[in-house]
Amino acid sequence: MEDLVRIRDLTVRFHTYEGVVYAIDDLDLDIRQGETLGIVGETGSGKTMTALAILRLIPYPGRIESGSIVFFDKGLRSELELLKLSEDKMRSIRGCKISMVFQEPGSALNPVYTIGDQISEVYLLHQRQELGRQAKRRIDSLLGNGGTLAASIKRPFWRWQSRLYNKIAEGSNPLEPRILSHIPLFRRLLWRLKDEAGLLTVSMLKDVEIPDPDRVAGRYPHELSGGMKQRAVIAMALACSPELLIADEPTTSLDVTIQAQMLELFRRIKADRGASVLFITHNLGVAAEVCDRVAVMYAGRLCEVAGVEEIFLHPMHPYTKALLEAVPMPGKELQTIPGALADAFNPPPGCRFHPRCPSAMPTCQHERPKLKEVAKDHMVACYLY
Amino acid sequence: MSDWRFTARQLAKNPLSLTGVVIIAIFIIIAIFAPLIAPTPAGQLNSYMIPRDGYWAEPQPPSAAHILGTTQGQYDIFYGVVWGARSAFRVALVVMSITLLIGIVLGSLAGYFGGVLDEILMRITDIFLAFPWLILAMALVVVLGPGLKSVMIALIVVWWPSYARLIRGDILQVREEDYVEAARGLGASSGRVIIRHVLPNAIYPALIMASLDIGAVVLSAAALSFLGLGAPEGYADWGQMTQFAQNWIVGPLDNPLKYWYAVIIPGLFILFFVLGWNLLGDAFRDIFDPRLARR
Amino acid sequence: MELRSYIIRRVLLLIPVLIGVTLFIFGITMLFPPAQRATLYVTNMRQLSDLPAIIQKYGLDKPFFVQYGTWLNQVLHGNLGWSRAISMPVAQAIPHLLPATLELAIFAVPLIVLVGIFLGTKAATHKDKPLDHGTRVVAILGWSLPSFWLGLVLMMIFYGYFSGLLPPGRLGVQMDILVDSAAFIRYTHINTIDAILNLNGPVLLDALRHLILPVMTLSVINMAFIMRLMRSSMLESLGKGYILTARAKGLAEKVVVNKHARRNALIPVITVSGYLFAGLASGAVITETIFSFKGIGWWAWQAAVMLDIPSVLAFALFTATLFVVINLLVDILYTRVDPRVRLGGAVQ
Repeated sequence: MEDLVRIRDLTVRFHTYEGVVYAIDDLDLDIRQGETLGIVGETGSGKTMTALAILRLIPYPGRIESGSIVFFDKGLRSELELLKLSEDKMRSIRGCKISMVFQEPGSALNPVYTIGDQISEVYLLHQRQELGRQAKRRIDSLLGNGGTLAASIKRPFWRWQSRLYNKIAEGSNPLEPRILSHIPLFRRLLWRLKDEAGLLTVSMLKDVEIPDPDRVAGRYPHELSGGMKQRAVIAMALACSPELLIADEPTTSLDVTIQAQMLELFRRIKADRGASVLFITHNLGVAAEVCDRVAVMYAGRLCEVAGVEEIFLHPMHPYTKALLEAVPMPGKELQTIPGALADAFNPPPGCRFHPRCPSAMPTCQHERPKLKEVAKDHMVACYLY
Repeated sequence: MSDWRFTARQLAKNPLSLTGVVIIAIFIIIAIFAPLIAPTPAGQLNSYMIPRDGYWAEPQPPSAAHILGTTQGQYDIFYGVVWGARSAFRVALVVMSITLLIGIVLGSLAGYFGGVLDEILMRITDIFLAFPWLILAMALVVVLGPGLKSVMIALIVVWWPSYARLIRGDILQVREEDYVEAARGLGASSGRVIIRHVLPNAIYPALIMASLDIGAVVLSAAALSFLGLGAPEGYADWGQMTQFAQNWIVGPLDNPLKYWYAVIIPGLFILFFVLGWNLLGDAFRDIFDPRLARR
Repeated sequence: MELRSYIIRRVLLLIPVLIGVTLFIFGITMLFPPAQRATLYVTNMRQLSDLPAIIQKYGLDKPFFVQYGTWLNQVLHGNLGWSRAISMPVAQAIPHLLPATLELAIFAVPLIVLVGIFLGTKAATHKDKPLDHGTRVVAILGWSLPSFWLGLVLMMIFYGYFSGLLPPGRLGVQMDILVDSAAFIRYTHINTIDAILNLNGPVLLDALRHLILPVMTLSVINMAFIMRLMRSSMLESLGKGYILTARAKGLAEKVVVNKHARRNALIPVITVSGYLFAGLASGAVITETIFSFKGIGWWAWQAAVMLDIPSVLAFALFTATLFVVINLLVDILYTRVDPRVRLGGAVQ
């Protein structure tokens, strides 16, 4: 299978008042075409930062220090080095080819705009040409029919509008609509773009199984339930049919029943659209349900990557094993991982897990284990193998 | 305690707050050593009254006898600004401490006991806060008779409601904390719970606000003095000295800036005094503002 | 419908506030001897010469609440007493002086609010960069400036040094005569607006010339405040989850800041701007006094130093009413900006 994203030697650090935080340390990870890759780890293990690094949205005072993230753009049939793209280029990828769903649907939606407005924004941004084409088609059909008085009076205006939307449809940022969109009152002359975006929004909302999408589009976030909000956020992320959908703990803040619905939705989306999904979670059960492959992270480093069955049946890294034993199951005594998560400011040298590792060896204390393939499609970073 | 170290380090790191500390320190030195810097002439009983050199109206430029010149009515500007530092500190500290005291007592009573008491207090503060403070203060000074004491009373009257509200709000929050519940559960008396457990945790924001407000208090007192409602004539007060300059902002045609010293100097002292406090207050706010987490 | 009942409820709530305010001020005036309080009941110049008769007529030696009742009755009949400060009935003084004050507020408030919001946004997006530090220094300096002194220094420069370039007052002598002549129709008594309506360029220029310094004095101090408020509100908003969502959509930073962050950050600024307007519209006492810009604030100062009790009382009533009304407008405006806010209720 082809890789969609190839991350190599990614290092992200936060330069804070108290010291430097090694959020991600030399990470190598591939996301394949059409797969769902899960990233599992405790809070602070660098899962979310990996996702934000792909979008180049690491918050201040964090910085991507080194590494490379290669993205294979299906439309362009070429490989893009995301870390070297201009900010403008990067913006055209965000929300369009790579999009993200956040943990808290409550805070991910802007409280002062309607759901519809916030989703339309994505279409207006990334599919302006398409919208312009649609709008022109609609005006042309108006021009074609009717000989009523009103229609003949409006006809010159419609012709001008048709030309205007045609310019937008041709792309390359034409002057006339660009000027118009900067002048408050004249901006309204482009209302058809907004209308077309609204239509797409409603059909998108329907796609994520929101009942009564017309009405919901006009609602403000606080008027919806948590599950509805998350569906809206997912709709926003899927609006432009991205090639990679990053989902950062999309179900964590939801009720269990809603969680199940949401996972179902993710499975369906993937099946329908063939997009790759990067699914971040701390819940192994959730990962087992939706993922094709699972990557386990600990303190900013990758411990183990393998197919979902492989990792659950034959975990190799001691940390993975410990994680699996920490999952509560009926009739089995619950195991906890001794010790606390590595100190972000002063991570232990060598393997970061060694202070908590039951099978630590002397080498583990000062040498960092490399990620190597120990079985087919099964990578582990541990000296045991 | 590491909080204090953090605060001190932040203050030292920031050149602005450091400037504030230096300015305030200079003013403290001026205020303490006022009798040495500008000795009171022999035979004058009240040191706060500026000695005058005649009754001639026109301000006189700096000279050997009056190193910063004299104001309208021949009051010595140097003596006035030096002793004015004492007046400024006095007004600031008296007003702020009494305001805090009233705010703490009323605010904690209302916040802790709630109910009718709380309701009454809040409605009273509503009435006070519906006024522009300057007008209320002016009206009070007029009624009490102009003078520095009236100015202080007026400022306390207009300032306490906001502190009472602030402390009440904090108390309401702290009251629900577990350790307060625990103390109450152990049978501690209300007074003891308030003083030992609630206040120490609720008072912090009020103290920060007080440090931010000192500048404003001094500015307001100066404004009232400037409007002719403050210190008696000849009292060492920066606001009043600025008022003395009001008729002399424009010199004769050939030298329009002739009386600059009378206009500029007293005002500069107010500006720097207030600036010092505001620089400090701003730094405090940045350090303690919970909405802007430390980085 | 909801809006109307809300407004009615709020206006009814105004009554107890006004009663409280008047009780308070009236209580203070009771400290004065009856002869000084007599002007509260005077309606014309002639009565001034016979104050004992007034004292007799209105029972100024009666107990407090009786006097308060008498006075309230007077007020409800439109008699607010005689203003010694400007020698006219108080009821006429307010409409006479308000246009000047409004003129000042109309120019100062939009300037303060717009520039404050602009600079506050810039400071927030450039946090810890030179621009942020620069605006911070300017802001702290701004609110440390004694406004009366700033006014004097500005006048020293622009009136003294540049011989009469920007004079105090509202209009020059010539223009003052012109404005009062039959050739000039006074629609609003706000000079600039009247000048525009009369298509009179010289009056407009002269009025603007007189407005520059007072507006500047007011702006420097208040702008600093709005700017810092906007900065901290903006920083809070920029840290929210929806900002990350907006960035992840691929929106340009300009749109993220100006559309998604600013709309949310404006909410607290609106309240403060409302109070700012109320404060200025009820008279910028110090500024109006220094520049002899004869409006409500100047009148309040005159009244205070002259112990003109009816004026002070009327002024207190006027400002309290204005604050409550502005407060109501701000609440209504809130519901337009923040859909989570319902009239009469808190944020959900």
